[in-house]
Amino acid sequence: MGFLLPILLFLYSPPENVKAFDTPDDGGGSITVTWTLPQEDSEAIRYDIYRYTSATDSGILAGSVLRGINTFQDIGVKDGVEYRYKVAVVYPDTVLFSAFSSVAVAKAQWFNKKTKAALFILLFYGIVLFWFTEEAKKGRRTYIRKIAGLEAVEEAVGRSTELGKPILFVPGIGLISDITTIAALSILKRVAKKAAEYESRVIVPNFDPIVMVAAQETVKEGYTEAGRPDLYNEKDIFFLTSDQFGYAAGVDGMMMREKPGAIFLQGTFYAEALILAETGHSVGAIQISGTTSVTQLPFFIAATDYTLIGEEMYAASAYLSKDPLMLGTIKGEDLMKLIFIVTIIAGVILETFGIHLISNWFSIF
Amino acid sequence: MKREIPLFITFITGVLLVIALFIPHKPFGQLQQTFNDWLIIVGGFTMILGLDSLLLHNWEKIKRKKEGWISSAFLIASFFITLFWGFGEGIFAHRSPFDPSATFLRYFYTYVFVPLQATMFSLLAFFIASAAYRAFRAKDGNSTLLLSAAALVMLGRVPEGQKVAPWIFAFVLILLAYYFFKEGSRTSGTQKTVYMVLGVLSIALIYPVFYILLHYLNYIADWIMNIPQMAAKRGIWIGISLGGIAMSLRIILGVEKTYLQ
Amino acid sequence: MREFLQKAGNIDRRIIYLLILSAVAITILLKVSFKSTPLPEVKRSYDIINSLPAGSVVMFSIDYDASSMPELDPMLRAMLRHCFEKNLKVIMLGHWPLGLPLGQIALEDIARQYHKKYGEDYVFLGYRPGLQAVMLNLGKEIRSVFSTDYRGTPIDSLPMMRGVHNYNDIAVLIGLEAGSVGDMWVQFANARFNQKIILGSTAVITPDLYPYLQAGQIVGLIGGLRGASDYEALVKHPAIASAGMASQTVVHVLIILLILLGNIGYFATRRGK
Repeated sequence: MGFLLPILLFLYSPPENVKAFDTPDDGGGSITVTWTLPQEDSEAIRYDIYRYTSATDSGILAGSVLRGINTFQDIGVKDGVEYRYKVAVVYPDTVLFSAFSSVAVAKAQWFNKKTKAALFILLFYGIVLFWFTEEAKKGRRTYIRKIAGLEAVEEAVGRSTELGKPILFVPGIGLISDITTIAALSILKRVAKKAAEYESRVIVPNFDPIVMVAAQETVKEGYTEAGRPDLYNEKDIFFLTSDQFGYAAGVDGMMMREKPGAIFLQGTFYAEALILAETGHSVGAIQISGTTSVTQLPFFIAATDYTLIGEEMYAASAYLSKDPLMLGTIKGEDLMKLIFIVTIIAGVILETFGIHLISNWFSIF
Repeated sequence: MKREIPLFITFITGVLLVIALFIPHKPFGQLQQTFNDWLIIVGGFTMILGLDSLLLHNWEKIKRKKEGWISSAFLIASFFITLFWGFGEGIFAHRSPFDPSATFLRYFYTYVFVPLQATMFSLLAFFIASAAYRAFRAKDGNSTLLLSAAALVMLGRVPEGQKVAPWIFAFVLILLAYYFFKEGSRTSGTQKTVYMVLGVLSIALIYPVFYILLHYLNYIADWIMNIPQMAAKRGIWIGISLGGIAMSLRIILGVEKTYLQ
Repeated sequence: MREFLQKAGNIDRRIIYLLILSAVAITILLKVSFKSTPLPEVKRSYDIINSLPAGSVVMFSIDYDASSMPELDPMLRAMLRHCFEKNLKVIMLGHWPLGLPLGQIALEDIARQYHKKYGEDYVFLGYRPGLQAVMLNLGKEIRSVFSTDYRGTPIDSLPMMRGVHNYNDIAVLIGLEAGSVGDMWVQFANARFNQKIILGSTAVITPDLYPYLQAGQIVGLIGGLRGASDYEALVKHPAIASAGMASQTVVHVLIILLILLGNIGYFATRRGK
């Protein structure tokens, strides 16, 4: 085979234009290596990337990539140390090394330039929200359209009381770190306060222990604000299970046994949403649902009496409390949405004529 | 102070994590991962709280012989059987309960847990049918559009759907024509003319609709899923994201306090 | 007649459940099967795996549990068959601890059929808590998260794992998803490390994943039982998914007919008033 080597070397070529540079917009410890693929790339098995420090001559294998790929990110380097690289193409019968790359030094950046669009939007949004809350503080009245699901809360609690049945509040299977769960808890507080005024019982089965603790405090606060702390029963807010369908089975069982007059399905839901909603319908309860899980919204809309769609859940706290500061943030949200709509329409028109100004500026990640 | 300290912690943590999104340099770049790790550790300990609540709640029901106490007895018995069986594999057989040779995996997981979960999920098939039957009524233009789109996608996404859909839609058009002609016969003047025209249009559309669905239903279903469905979903997502940012800012700045005592 | 139509608009839900049960059971018992053309995104997934040279490493992530098994297990088995037929190396891990045994059972079963050896042709790493932390650390060094496999064997002693360190050494990552973990794979593995990803998902969440396919963030998408049956047809090994599709067709038609009946009853009632 030795006599074939000169012929193989003649037929195959090594990678060229090997460049090494600090990986941009990162926290350091990484160098990116790029190269031009040889013409015979389709016959290559892989590319091995070797790292050299200027103090040593022997290279260390930093990693490998498959054929067709001409970039590699070496994440095993130290900041401030000079490195050089060679890329070796492995063919079935031979291995060919490139020339050395330029010297590269890894360092951390203080700002990720790829997120500049996100930063601009966040700052702009923050200013808009701040402006509207200032206007709200000055006493400017804010109009919010009627949200049927939230208007029906009092009707649902009242109906439950008339029937002498408890209210079931299902906060979904989200964790306390989900914004949707926090929105659900703010609705729970209003429901609990209303229930206390009507001397009704609120049952809250929980998927997560931390949410259970927060729900207990929330319901207690609701009952206290209504002046009926004596009616609060901690045992009605309990942990059920952290298994999705175990939770659905448990809540369904509760619905069949307790036969609540009103059921609130508020929070993060996945496949168990329809199971809960249909069972609730079968016991004849009035159901008010709300979720930001877009895949479950159609099921809730079909199976429950009222549905809070997506951001209506987030607006619930402001809507029910009528707090001017919170209502101000809702107005700010609406203005941002309008700006987005105008930007999208402008972007579509520009893209139709081949002008990529807006789409280029918004390429974030 | 009971409220102020949590609000302060929320503010500092929230601001730091927002800043960390834009600054990759240490220590900011690692913050998100660090906080996630802390959340997992804290979450593990709070499971003890949850178990305490679960067992006490059900023990109370058994003690007072409340309605459905037998289910609570089953729950507590199942809890302890699972716990000791799983631990037993480790202590007596010196292997993980999920090892392929473990009795826990073979008997409990494969023959109890998996069928139970699959059964709960399979309820969806029945509930979707009853929910669709009850909710999909052509009350107005919007609901008719919803109903038609659902039918096209349901039939376009299954094998042989392309052969069945033309017949169903043709039948619907015949029913519509019957309805328009019947209404037309009960009215007079311009209204009668309109109904008659609609009836004739329904009949005229039978063949074109039949042909289009027979040959292009898959493309129509794909178009509905890729274009209008996706557009609506993106619109809802944008709204949810904006609402989420506003809600997060309210929580960070302490305007939203309902989750605190 | 009108009374009959009005009753048709108010069928007891238990009768509906009985009709659905009958439709599914009869179709499966009679072993009815229908042919279909594979969806383009499923064909694309198949082609990508088909184009990998022998010895390439494919990573499976089991992100579902028993409730989604009917849709995702057939998908997993068909893809494992494809990988082993092409002599690809398989690594399996997951983020749903209760679903991982299902993946393990399927892996062992299919590996046995193709006479594959543990440690040389496939490795089961198991579960580590952390989700995002795991995904990020896999991009640096697998051993920082999985120093041992599920049995406690150091992975350096497994011949297959000697040259595998991070996403650079993994040709394709296949995530089998029943929840939101797929979004995280895209966000962390693809966005930060350019890892090629194919996602298999339940039918309910498949529409959520189409934007990623359109944006090129994932290279293939296999959705629901239809996707699983398409993949089975492509690997020329029709199994449980293909059998299930026939009953899905029958049930879909039945639901449409029930909706039609409901609407006829609704209009008959409306006219009566």
